[in-house]
Amino acid sequence: MVHFYESSMITTKDGLQCQVYSNQHPKKGIIVKPKYIPTKKISSDSLPYRFILGKKVNRLDMWTDAKELKKYIEKFARVYPDYVFESDIHDRSPLFFVVPHEKIEKIYSPREGLRELMSIPYMDLDDHLEKVVGFVKFLLQSGLKLHDFGITYSTLMGYYSRNMSDINIVIYGKNKFWKLMDFLEKNKHKDLRWKNYEEWEKFYNKRNRNIVHDKEIYIKNMHRKRTEGFFKDTLFVLFALEEPEEAWFKWGEERYKRIGFAKFNAKIKSNYDSIVRPGCYEVSNSKFLKERIKIASCPFSSINLFGYLNSNIFIPNFLLIIFIILTTNHKYVPFF
Amino acid sequence: MAHFYESTLIDTKDGFQCKSYSNEHPKGFIIVKPKYLPRKALKARGLKYRFLFGKCLIRFNLFAKKEKLISIVEEFKKNYPEYIYEDKNKENWYFVVPKNKIKEIHDPKKGLQELLKVPKKDLDDYLKKVVELIEFLCKCGIKTIDLGITHSTLLGNYTPGKSDIDLIIYGKDNGWKILNYLKDAGHPDLHWKTEEEWAEYYQTHKTSESSHFTEEEYIKHMKRKKYEGMFRGNVFTLFTVENPEETWFKWEDETVKRVGLATINGIVTEDYNSHVRPGFYEITGAKILDKHGKNWELDNSIKIEKIVTYSIPFIQQAFKDEKISACGLLELVTSKKDQKKYYRLVVGYFDAYLNERREKEFIKAEI
Repeated sequence: MVHFYESSMITTKDGLQCQVYSNQHPKKGIIVKPKYIPTKKISSDSLPYRFILGKKVNRLDMWTDAKELKKYIEKFARVYPDYVFESDIHDRSPLFFVVPHEKIEKIYSPREGLRELMSIPYMDLDDHLEKVVGFVKFLLQSGLKLHDFGITYSTLMGYYSRNMSDINIVIYGKNKFWKLMDFLEKNKHKDLRWKNYEEWEKFYNKRNRNIVHDKEIYIKNMHRKRTEGFFKDTLFVLFALEEPEEAWFKWGEERYKRIGFAKFNAKIKSNYDSIVRPGCYEVSNSKFLKERIKIASCPFSSINLFGYLNSNIFIPNFLLIIFIILTTNHKYVPFF
Repeated sequence: MAHFYESTLIDTKDGFQCKSYSNEHPKGFIIVKPKYLPRKALKARGLKYRFLFGKCLIRFNLFAKKEKLISIVEEFKKNYPEYIYEDKNKENWYFVVPKNKIKEIHDPKKGLQELLKVPKKDLDDYLKKVVELIEFLCKCGIKTIDLGITHSTLLGNYTPGKSDIDLIIYGKDNGWKILNYLKDAGHPDLHWKTEEEWAEYYQTHKTSESSHFTEEEYIKHMKRKKYEGMFRGNVFTLFTVENPEETWFKWEDETVKRVGLATINGIVTEDYNSHVRPGFYEITGAKILDKHGKNWELDNSIKIEKIVTYSIPFIQQAFKDEKISACGLLELVTSKKDQKKYYRLVVGYFDAYLNERREKEFIKAEI
């Protein structure tokens, strides 16, 4: 197993721009989500196009039409076989994208990027960067250190659009993230506000979240989070990263067997690990609502999420559509 | 000698971002102007910082305060001697990128072709403007393959509403075709600065170049240039670059000897090469107006034939048959092939930013 911080950016020798998608990785490479893929060898009109670093690229939007996405990913696997990872710890490997180590061209470290940004005299910053610096300075009032933060995505890569791009901040360490959440719960700033109902509704519609969520539940869940809001009217998003010693699972120490597709509810015992990707809710009293498969009658002990649900926290009755995988120690771990 | 297109961005293995500064180069090197350097490259103060591609970079600016620039360049030369090319045959030095230091070349032509493949619906407002400006320029009969994009437009670190749209025109004929087309072509989104706007610009952007002009002279010169305009509220700049077969000199075909700082005048007999970097005006009847306190002498049998500029504000400054005056470094040029000699006056060499020529150099048409 290998630790590598989630949300770092990697450019590859084949011109792909990837976002690290886990904090734990197999030896073969870094688990990523390709963000921008050159259109020279493979392209799809069902995915948005972008012009980045002098090249026409597709933005891999996992929320696009499922059929088209499937076609694209199948072709991707043929064109870039090295970037698709067949996991040997799963009896049937879920889809994993990886960047093999030898394909890495450049790693953009969020921590290093923020350190560089904060070293720039204030007068040399543009409006967007001024906001980022102002926001980080506010977050530093929580008692966390500059070293505990990072910037990522377009702010880090330098192709942000003023008044359009988000401020994406990462926090190194789960304890530190929770400490920051507590700070944000209790503190105010004149330039800080949280997304209102209408803004979450807009997000819900725009990002096709209706595919899996009931609107009212989704908005209710999202509304109480302190991971997304506005600073000086620019959207910010906070992401937690696991430190190496904090990993709630180590790649390769467990084996997973796929059982089937199911829907259930349960009581959350702990949401401590729900803030990272992959995140995890420890649950008890799980009950199937819609069972398509027969499984042994032992309770789920954890729900493991790769993806957008990673910060769904404080949910007493948690309902999900999941893949269930039987682990060797009889935990049921669903993977997205 | 080697051809390499001017205004092309080059990343070096030492983390520099440079812009090629000529179309003709010494063998094994590319003449450049450093644009961004890593923060650790220089200790000297006086330059601004930028956050680009995850790094704090120093914006290398030849217009920084002179005394500061002197120590900055001194430190640069000491820390990175391989990026300085001393040419004894030209009695001058240049910022260069040695070929073995090139990490990546950002090709403006390929970049534009890539941009044009992106459906308009997926472009932001800034890039839409770029594409629509290209479509408009192509109405004069040139092809998109003769155009390119550079600087932040190419690299994607542009700031909509603030960053210029920087376009390259490949080929001198194509350059004139577009510049002449723009004299009359109308487009609802195209705007040239009015006399009032130029007057305001003159008052608010005092530079060493503009200091040689009265407000009225400045407006007259700038108003007739068509390399910088506004397209839907965004400044655009057109840089013409020479194709390999078009370069007006070959690096190793001539030797150059410095004469001294001079102010001269003459009549422009040819302006065809005045829209490239370096560009020149062919002149006749040149007279020395000022030797700036020195008593060097010229060989009267040799004529002053050219006024050369590396400085963009002085391109397209004078047209054929106009009277021109200029101040710069007077040089004696000798052809290696047939030993033919001529004098030329050069404005905008790198060293000029560090000495008295910085405040004195200009090119002006009597209009």
